[in-house]
Amino acid sequence: MENAVREKAKGLLTSGEVKVVIGWGWNRNGTRTTPVFITRPEDAGRLVWNPLCVNNLSVYLTRKFKDIQALGRPAIVAKGCDIKNIAVLVSEAQVKREDVYIIGVTCDGVVYRQELWKGELTPNIMPTKCHNCDVRNPHIADCVIGDRSGFVPPEAPAGMVFDRIKALDAKESAQRWEFWIKEFSRCVKCYACRQVCSLCYCERCITEKNMPQWIETSAHPRGNLSWNLTRAMHLAGRCTFCGECERACPVNIPLNLVNQKLITVVKDAFDYRSGYDASAHPPMIVFSPEDKENFIK
Amino acid sequence: MPRIGVFVCQCGNNIAATVDTKKVAEEMGRLPGVVYTCDYKFMCSSPGQEMLKQAIKENNLDGVIVSACSPHMHEKTFRKASEAAGLNPYRCEITNIREQCSWVHHDRTKAVGTVKSMDLTRMTIQRLKKNRPLDKIRIPVRKRALVIGGGIAGIQAALDIAEGGREVILVEKEPSIGGNMARLSETFPTMDCSQCILTPKMVEAELNENIKLYTYSEVEKVDGYIGNFTVRIRRKSKYVDEERCTGCGECIEKCPFKVESRFELGLAKRKVIYTPFPQSVPNVPVIDAPNCPKIQKDRCGVCALVCGPKCIDFKMEDRIETVEVGAIVVATGYQLMPNARFGEYGYGRIKDVINGMQFERLASSSGPTGGEIRRPSDGKVPDSVVFIQCVGSRDEKKGVSYCSKVCCMYTAKHTMLYHHKVHGGKAYVFYMDIRCAGKRYEEFVRRAIEHDGAMYLRGRVSRVYERDGKVIVQGADTLSASQVEIEADMVVLATAIVSRDGADTLAQRLGIGYDRHRFYNEYHPKLKPVETVTAGIYLAGTCIGPMDIPESVAQGSAAASKVLALFSADEMSREPITALVNKATCNACWDCVTACPYSAIEKDAVKNRQGEIVRRLARVNDGVCQGCGVCVAACRSKSIDLKGYTDEQVFAAINAF
Repeated sequence: MENAVREKAKGLLTSGEVKVVIGWGWNRNGTRTTPVFITRPEDAGRLVWNPLCVNNLSVYLTRKFKDIQALGRPAIVAKGCDIKNIAVLVSEAQVKREDVYIIGVTCDGVVYRQELWKGELTPNIMPTKCHNCDVRNPHIADCVIGDRSGFVPPEAPAGMVFDRIKALDAKESAQRWEFWIKEFSRCVKCYACRQVCSLCYCERCITEKNMPQWIETSAHPRGNLSWNLTRAMHLAGRCTFCGECERACPVNIPLNLVNQKLITVVKDAFDYRSGYDASAHPPMIVFSPEDKENFIK
Repeated sequence: MPRIGVFVCQCGNNIAATVDTKKVAEEMGRLPGVVYTCDYKFMCSSPGQEMLKQAIKENNLDGVIVSACSPHMHEKTFRKASEAAGLNPYRCEITNIREQCSWVHHDRTKAVGTVKSMDLTRMTIQRLKKNRPLDKIRIPVRKRALVIGGGIAGIQAALDIAEGGREVILVEKEPSIGGNMARLSETFPTMDCSQCILTPKMVEAELNENIKLYTYSEVEKVDGYIGNFTVRIRRKSKYVDEERCTGCGECIEKCPFKVESRFELGLAKRKVIYTPFPQSVPNVPVIDAPNCPKIQKDRCGVCALVCGPKCIDFKMEDRIETVEVGAIVVATGYQLMPNARFGEYGYGRIKDVINGMQFERLASSSGPTGGEIRRPSDGKVPDSVVFIQCVGSRDEKKGVSYCSKVCCMYTAKHTMLYHHKVHGGKAYVFYMDIRCAGKRYEEFVRRAIEHDGAMYLRGRVSRVYERDGKVIVQGADTLSASQVEIEADMVVLATAIVSRDGADTLAQRLGIGYDRHRFYNEYHPKLKPVETVTAGIYLAGTCIGPMDIPESVAQGSAAASKVLALFSADEMSREPITALVNKATCNACWDCVTACPYSAIEKDAVKNRQGEIVRRLARVNDGVCQGCGVCVAACRSKSIDLKGYTDEQVFAAINAF
């Protein structure tokens, strides 16, 4: 399968159909995977595909990476979950569908963190999203590489994140508040969560707006709270639960809980899941007479 | 340093009772940038306004704050006064210390109210400091109007606009204008014949040079904004050349096929090539294509053979016409609730149970019976008729919650017409209340009861069924607390008025609001009864809710006067409270484009000298933007600001709190 990815990349680059292939490759020590940008056909052999390929590479399609955009038409090697983000980017006019070649790879799950890898993919090192994945066979792609996965996600979503959300929901609001204040108090405002997120593509983030400065930029509990809440609200109805923000967070704030809770709320209120339809708009900005609006009553 | 003046209003005792206005004024005077303060009994009075003007001039103020009532009340007043004194009107801000302060606090020691007034005023002062002068937006006005719906309200609106010397396009989806009123027999309370008073108006509309009639046409798409709408109209194929048809009626005469007449509500048949009724305007027949064998199966074609001017064309197709207008009047009218929902009254099952509109046709001299009251089943003149009121109206469970307003009156009229036409006939009316508020309305109903002998029974009907050629009505008479059973020959249901099918689709096309009954929303139910929230679109008649003919006509004229006022100037000015996109930070995600309820935001691009797009961004059309602020909330990168309510202003106000 890895070879098929390399062959495809080589073919695309040789024919000139794309100018760059965004994919995964080994780091210098060969211990972890890292994003690679292949521009020459002879380098296609550097591409790899294995359960360590956890990075969501769709972030490199955004306007945050002008240098990559400048290379020309890209092809991207993407898992189903990464493609969800590409779908949102397409729906928000950040990428034109025809301007990117998606090499979809079927996936049997990835590791939650690369350091957990012991040479074998076991369920306990897989993130919650993989246990509930319904896009192991890429849903939007120009070509799909790999054997069809027969995996059927459980009817009721399950996994650590859902368990923790359930436990939190069971608590009193004061306790929940205390929990989050404590978690957010560790935030050092490094904005790694924002940088790694392909849907945080604003050229000027609200936290960088200083006329007026809505969000305090120092790592003060007040600013931490408003940053994390704003980040969450800006992703409501858009976040695909790829989990990159939590993976990138240097102080281990459980951002997946926030994200998954938002997804559940949006699903319940609007019957909407992002990332499945590249022409859909997030429910927060559209009005439809069919909206259930139960949450208003 | 800004030079701000603060004027605190006592509003008689409305504010002064719980707010120490003198203290508020004094305290505000201590704030940096405030150079003049005062308090006064009535700032909105002429002397109060003079004071404001005087103070602006004498103290060379560059911004004023009036702490008084809600800006809804007098913002305009004070902005106008400021402008007269040479200040940009948008450098005048209002603090609401009445509705949001003095009226809700009852502390007569004035402690709470005074402190809160000071807080609110201080917030406004900080807001005002970040306030930029704004200029009114001027937009050109295309002086042609579109009226949707050719019923009496629409005809009246079109005639009035045309009288005012402006062009009107009157769009009607049926082959003839006239609407529901054309179906009526006589009209209450004067009992003049509906056709006799309507037909002259219809003819007038046809002959008026300023009115273009688009019958058998429907509005498909509306773009643009006040003064500059572009409307796409589908002109359905009539299969008859309107220009050349003389209206001789030979084709109708000779057409061998008959189908049920929609105009006669199933009480009579009409030909396949037809005009809905003899007085149709324009007097041009149309071919009912789905029922025409020539069009469907290429058989027959008699009409084309007998047509003198040869104006029938079976190959004619729908035409799409695009017109540009400055204002739109929506007068799409009503329909009756389908009676099928009320099985207990036997409508549709028992032939002699009809609705009020069908009775109108029976009583109409141009109707299927020539004005004689004959029951549909066997044509017998009914000896007794039961009228049931509130069928569907005021019935939250099965019908609609509202009162259809005209049924009490037309039922009284029906009993009179019946009494006049069938001497000795007995009319029974089951009613809930008799609602006859209106000029000469009460007298009219009294006349029906006292003079024409209608028997009014207060109560509901539980069951209607057939027995030996009679219609048996079982019900309650609550005033005598007894069960009644009436052997009638015919039953007439006063069915609820409901909005037209497709009313919601049209509203969505126009961008106007509607309620849960799909009646259109006025801008303000009392003070702006014919305006909608979308500037340049006006309402008239029963598309707003049930009403009678005089009201519909009045609304038609009212809408016309609004249109004429709009057309009185070449340009119109608008409040400059509109959204503004920051070109440097817009991400072109188009969320604002999707979110905008007025379609006021367009996709735009910045091009370099070679004409290549270097950057895409959103652009707000000032003519359409209503300043609602939805885009501001939707924009994640905070690249949209609302003029007059900028982020900086809001932030400054919050900070001052």
